[in-house]
Amino acid sequence: MAAVNQDNTLVVATTTAPSNSKQSQPRAKTVDSQSVLKRLQSELMALMMSGDSGISAFPEEDNIFCWKGTITGSKDTVFEGTEYRLSLTFPNDYPFKPPKVKFETLCFHPNVDLVGNICLDILQDKWSSAYDVRTILLSIQSLLGEPNISSPLNNQAAQLWSNQDDYRKMVEKLYKSPKA
Amino acid sequence: MADSISSVCNLAILEKLSDGSIEEILESYNGFCAATDTLLNGAGDLSVGPQFVSHVHGLCKHGLESLLRDHFLGALERTFEKNGALKFWRHFEAYDDVSVEEEVFYNALEEISLEKQYQEKCLLILVHALQSYNHGSHDSNDYRVELFAKYQMSVSSVLMATLPRHFPEILHWYFKGRLEELSTIMGGDFPHDDDEDDDDDKDDMDLDDKCKVSYRSGQMEIDECYPQGRFLDNNKLVNNIGKVVRDLRSLGFTSMTEDAYASAIFLFLKAKVHDLAGDDYRISVLESIKGWIQAVPLQFLHALLAYLGDSVSYDSVSSGLKSPLASCPSTFYPGIDTPSEGLVRWQLRLEYFAYETLQDLRITKLFEIIVDYPDSSPAIEDLKQCLEYTGQHSKLVESFISALRYRLLTAGASTNDILHQYVSTIKALRTIDPAGVFLEAVGEPIRDYLRGRKDTIKCIVTMLTDGTGGNPNVSGNTGDSLLEELNRDEENQENAGLDDDFHTDDKQAWINASRWEPDPVEADPLKGSRNRRKVDILGMIVGIIGSKDQLVNEYRVMLAEKLLNKSDYDIDTEIRTLELLKIHFGESSMQKCEIMLNDLIDSKRTNGNIKATITRTSQADVLGSELGDNGVSMDVFDATIISSNFWPQIQDESLNVPGPVDQLLSDYAKRFNEIKTPRKLLWKKSLGTVKLELQFEDRAVQFVVAPVHAAIIMQFQDQTSWTSKNLAAAIGVPTDILNRRINFWISKGILAESLGPDSEDHVFTLMEGMVDSGKNGGTNGSIEDLIVADEEGESSVASVEDQLRKEMTVYEKFILGMLTNFGSMALDRIHNTLKMFCIADPPYDKTLQQLQSFLTGLVSEEKLELRDGMYFLKK
Repeated sequence: MAAVNQDNTLVVATTTAPSNSKQSQPRAKTVDSQSVLKRLQSELMALMMSGDSGISAFPEEDNIFCWKGTITGSKDTVFEGTEYRLSLTFPNDYPFKPPKVKFETLCFHPNVDLVGNICLDILQDKWSSAYDVRTILLSIQSLLGEPNISSPLNNQAAQLWSNQDDYRKMVEKLYKSPKA
Repeated sequence: MADSISSVCNLAILEKLSDGSIEEILESYNGFCAATDTLLNGAGDLSVGPQFVSHVHGLCKHGLESLLRDHFLGALERTFEKNGALKFWRHFEAYDDVSVEEEVFYNALEEISLEKQYQEKCLLILVHALQSYNHGSHDSNDYRVELFAKYQMSVSSVLMATLPRHFPEILHWYFKGRLEELSTIMGGDFPHDDDEDDDDDKDDMDLDDKCKVSYRSGQMEIDECYPQGRFLDNNKLVNNIGKVVRDLRSLGFTSMTEDAYASAIFLFLKAKVHDLAGDDYRISVLESIKGWIQAVPLQFLHALLAYLGDSVSYDSVSSGLKSPLASCPSTFYPGIDTPSEGLVRWQLRLEYFAYETLQDLRITKLFEIIVDYPDSSPAIEDLKQCLEYTGQHSKLVESFISALRYRLLTAGASTNDILHQYVSTIKALRTIDPAGVFLEAVGEPIRDYLRGRKDTIKCIVTMLTDGTGGNPNVSGNTGDSLLEELNRDEENQENAGLDDDFHTDDKQAWINASRWEPDPVEADPLKGSRNRRKVDILGMIVGIIGSKDQLVNEYRVMLAEKLLNKSDYDIDTEIRTLELLKIHFGESSMQKCEIMLNDLIDSKRTNGNIKATITRTSQADVLGSELGDNGVSMDVFDATIISSNFWPQIQDESLNVPGPVDQLLSDYAKRFNEIKTPRKLLWKKSLGTVKLELQFEDRAVQFVVAPVHAAIIMQFQDQTSWTSKNLAAAIGVPTDILNRRINFWISKGILAESLGPDSEDHVFTLMEGMVDSGKNGGTNGSIEDLIVADEEGESSVASVEDQLRKEMTVYEKFILGMLTNFGSMALDRIHNTLKMFCIADPPYDKTLQQLQSFLTGLVSEEKLELRDGMYFLKK
């Protein structure tokens, strides 16, 4: 509805304003935000119906651009039995730009810094519009078990990784189960 | 003793007494005592009278008046105890139980009455003696009254003191017996009692009329109203009773007697009411009970009171104290012109009691009465009148609710029956209580219960739309009546339109206003006031479901099913039903259904059009080439063309129809495309019906079957034996479906099933000739029924429940998803979030209550937890 209204005002704008650039930009944007909405909705539906275990995400109460996600550590990794809360923020031109994904629960991991930033290639330069929330979450879940030691954000974690037993103890020590 | 009394009482006199006078006193006293004894025990011999009087005078001279009075009364009392009371009770000693013979009773009473009369005579002698002694100094009447009162008291105290325990019961039984006797005598006069005798009834009517006339003209003659002999009988009987009552009263048993005959009358009335009311609810009994009250107990009381002499004493008062039921002169008791106050009181008591008894009786049987509704409406009418009089509506509500819970709202009752009863309840209680206050209370448990049943909506819709009520075992009444309700509703709406008119004149408004009555006390103020609480059966039925959308949806599914099974485009009844539903539920909500019906109408036209043009153009080559044995002519083919967007989801099964038919279908579709470009037909080949005839060597059998059955049997035309896998492939359906469907032909004895080489792969063979027709012949009917029942289970349209279940799985996933990420959420937030983000097809459209019950379901499945109003995932 909002988009349609904007469109109408635009028609008025065309007749009064001579500038071309002004015309085209907002139009592109409105079309986008509508399709972004649709895309996010269908991603939500797909995610809900997919039934993947260990990953989940849902939009916050009033804003479909801000999601909360949940990942559980895979079996047979040092993160088994832990659960991490994430936040996903989608840009207005999603899916052409990747969402900003952060850990909200403290995660002791070589590629996650102390404030929760994640170093993952598909969330930066390797992003493609073919990815979606589900694949992002699955990638992060597998990143937990298979960190990229070569470019760590958390050096202590990277060094400890080789000793899985100690690492497990460290994870258990630092782990705080996420609260609502 | 006498001396001691005299010494105490007459100390002053003693001073003055000379020896001579003492002697005189003693002599007189002894003489007096002796005379008293002779007098009292003299058995009727009053000859000692003069002697007695002189002794009395002698004693009075010395101022010993009170002494002799006390002595005489004491002697009377002792004698009465000995001669009267003991003898009296001895009469009843022989009877351990209470059924004393009438004769004995009379004799006993007579004897004791005689004794008492005699004693009274003696007392009178004393009174006269005393009076003659001091004439004029005393008010003689006062004196007598005082003495007799004392005597009366001593008599009753003697009797009371020696009263056997079962005497009140004896009295009770006596009156009961007499009442019964009276009732049999009067029975003939009682109009509704003997229906078999019309003439008699007529006579009675005439009599009644006569009575009215006589009442109006103010004639007092009772005898005119009754056949002479009968009434004389009555009179004798009543006189007897009157005598008994009088005797008993004189013995001091006034209240006991009254209790006895009152309780006898009440018990008798109760028995009569039970007897009259019985278990037949098709006739109104209230009038006959009232008639009976007039005819028997009131006559009895009237005669009794008249006999006892208090009947006509309070005429002036009685006119102001008329029974509220006496407003209509015909109900007035015949032959009694001016009822005394006592009689009016009696009538009120009796009628109230009758009303209450009948009401209690009907209330306990209300469940059965309502089951029999509308046949039982007279009983309902009776109950209404009773309740208006007694005002014990709450009794009805309580008793009926408990009966409902116990007898109707159980797993054993079918939803149809419950609905049937619900509708009857609404109708019946509407009569009793037009404001619907009690209905509200009674309907609540039924509605609650029905909401828990899965097939409620389906049954309601069937009842609304189908005359047969969906279940052949249930009489068509309910369905009809609900359709009727729809009709009635239509009329109501027209009337309502008038009422709501702004220009209703002031007069009408004034009439409405003056007709206003306050709600009954029991009304729940939360449930709106009287005007808004118009009893509306359809509204109450829809109220069970919760929203009309659900009902409309269910109706759509059923309508689709019905329309798809039609082969003749005849939808007149459906159109009518839809029009009625539209009036009630609004045009917009029925829009889809209307489109469905229009599809049918269009189909009929298009079908005719296509068939006409197709035959004209292709007649030549069809006739020439293909139309042999296998060919199917376009004439026998009709298509229903539906706009699938507006129809409920249709279960589509793949099916390969036989070649010629397939050819026909594609021809048809092609022609349709030509006529209706750019629209194209997509066949739902598994839907529809096929009429076919199977020709065997010795017989031909006709069937109406589903296309899949026809396709199966067609395959056996060229090849008499198939394995199930091959057959399934040929028809294009999965093997399991084939195995299920083919049972139809096996049960008809057309095909036989045998185990093939592969245990999974059965072999079906065509049974040429009636090999096992005998086997199936006898039981054919039942098997067919079974098959039909089986087929009913597989509807071609996805049922509402299926749709709902599918929707709910989506919601479940969303709810689990949001709770995973937000931890805990309140009901409101879940509801809002679903509204916001669950934009699936169909979008989330449930109410908060529906969501809550769904969540409760998830909690009980242990998927969720509920703590302090917040929902959590169950870990």
